[in-house]
Amino acid sequence: MFRGFLIEILRSAIESIKANKLRSLLTTLGIVIGVMTVIGVMSVISGLKKNVATSFSQLGANVLYVDKYPWFSGHRSREEWNKIRKRSNLDTKEVQALKEYGTSFEYVSPVIGRRLNMERGEKEAPEVDANGTSEDFAKIINQDVSLGRFLSKDDIKYKRHVCVLGQDVVNTLFPEENPIGNKVKIQGRQFNVIGILEERGEMMGHSMDNVAMIPFTTMAEFTGRRGISITIAIYAENEEEAREEIRWILRGVRNVKPEEEDDFSINSSEAMINQFNQLTKTIFLISIAIAGISLIVGGIGIMNIMLVSVSERTREIGVRKAIGAKSSEILGQFLMESVVICLVGGFLGIFLGASLTKLISIMSNGNLPFYIPIWSIFLGFGFCCSIGVFFGYYPARKASKLSPVEALRYE
Amino acid sequence: MSELIKMKDVTKVYPLGETEVQALRGVDIVINKGEFISIIGPSGSGKSTLMHIIGCLDVATAGSYFLQGKDVNKMNENQLADIRKEFIGFVFQDFYLLPDVPAWYNVSLPMIYNRVAPRERKEKAIRILENVGLGDRVNHLPNQLSGGERQRVAIARALANEPEIIIADEPTGNLDSVRGEEILKILSDLYEKGKTIIIVSHETYVAERGKRKIYLKDGRVEGKG
Repeated sequence: MFRGFLIEILRSAIESIKANKLRSLLTTLGIVIGVMTVIGVMSVISGLKKNVATSFSQLGANVLYVDKYPWFSGHRSREEWNKIRKRSNLDTKEVQALKEYGTSFEYVSPVIGRRLNMERGEKEAPEVDANGTSEDFAKIINQDVSLGRFLSKDDIKYKRHVCVLGQDVVNTLFPEENPIGNKVKIQGRQFNVIGILEERGEMMGHSMDNVAMIPFTTMAEFTGRRGISITIAIYAENEEEAREEIRWILRGVRNVKPEEEDDFSINSSEAMINQFNQLTKTIFLISIAIAGISLIVGGIGIMNIMLVSVSERTREIGVRKAIGAKSSEILGQFLMESVVICLVGGFLGIFLGASLTKLISIMSNGNLPFYIPIWSIFLGFGFCCSIGVFFGYYPARKASKLSPVEALRYE
Repeated sequence: MSELIKMKDVTKVYPLGETEVQALRGVDIVINKGEFISIIGPSGSGKSTLMHIIGCLDVATAGSYFLQGKDVNKMNENQLADIRKEFIGFVFQDFYLLPDVPAWYNVSLPMIYNRVAPRERKEKAIRILENVGLGDRVNHLPNQLSGGERQRVAIARALANEPEIIIADEPTGNLDSVRGEEILKILSDLYEKGKTIIIVSHETYVAERGKRKIYLKDGRVEGKG
């Protein structure tokens, strides 16, 4: 019948909390805030991580981007920044060298990114992400065309005025007709549409289909080439090996002396995710510390109120003992009460934390998905139970040690 | 008749600040099964202390106490709790009911510690309440009951685990004489049914109900009626 007894002390704990609703609610506030913080932060970070991971994987797995600048800055001093700014631009000679000497990677493609307006008659597609690139870029980022064809070697060689359009651009400029073979105006020049890119969806609220691909050589005419650094996209099965080889080749072609650092950056989506994880880890630890403090404060509140409860109910404890309750049963009763208060707090905290996450998700227009890791809920409840037992033990023990005669005499 | 309670030379000393109070100074008592005993004496005579020791709420400082042949002085706290649970039912002057729960739940309380199944507990509690004439007050809270009714609930609670002994400490102290008489009637009936009843009181009309009286004065038994 031990189960029956547990149910009974649970019932008596709930009764006693119901009898002191406001007091119990105020007591549990610290726990509520602590758990809410844990759930809220964990959910937001988990959602962010999920989002970032899928977004970056859309940049292409196994793709390295060689750039003048590092993508993720992290902590750098002013001098370091000045050093980076003074790096010489990356140019086609680096592309050539990589193509010629590289053995650990397959495709190398220069990329010049620009935001350009595209027009067709009265219609205009503003701020299109235009990439000046080469025929290999489609293979590097695993991009297919849904209609027509991608850029060809000859398009690059002869600086043809051709373009491959993303679905968003097509929707804007050619709502009702087949764009292939038609012309669009970019920077005042006419371009032939040769293909349509397959849809890629969104990344962090930014459409991946508002794009256009034109030959790298044609783009260079717009930008004037001088003073701008290109990006080199590389597809590599083995990222580590490829990184080493790229460094080796580029240091050679850019005459970097052995004692000097690399004067270029090799970026990848994976490295960026790692950096991001580092950052979230810090946020996570800080919020855990905050939550921990509020849980401890909450626990002390619980202990305080349980001590009050024990002294208020000294007579009751005396009666229970007189009718045969053992010390351990009194201990169990008061421990249960403190655990139940904590669990109520935990439940409220989880509810509020989830609501907060939902609110953030709505306010971010769905860029932050509403995602609550199941383990964080278990962790929340586990924490509450532990706090209930830990901070409830002293008052409960005090109650259980009361002598029945003195407890009955207590006024 | 078999000996239920046998005390020999029981003393009880309380510390009181720097000094000590000698509440019992060598008490010898024998109570047989099925007796109706009144313990009488002025306040400060040690009645309550004696009642606490008989009821295993407290232990003697010295002397011997055998309950059904078992040496109470050698029992630990849990064993004492078991004795209180199974052998003894208490009725207090101030009733000591739990205020937030209905009458039947108050009566069922001792059965919780005796691990009686919930359904059985409630059924039995209601049955006992009916026996003390409170069949229509089962779901009332203590503050919805009169003093006499509350004391009857308390008696019902004392009976819950079918104890051998009922110990009543000034059971009529907070009641008018009519209600008090009702309570005493119930206790007499229980005696008729074979329970051992011990009433502690300083009121003679209450004490007169006992078939045997034990007079206490200054911590000693004065004489036996």
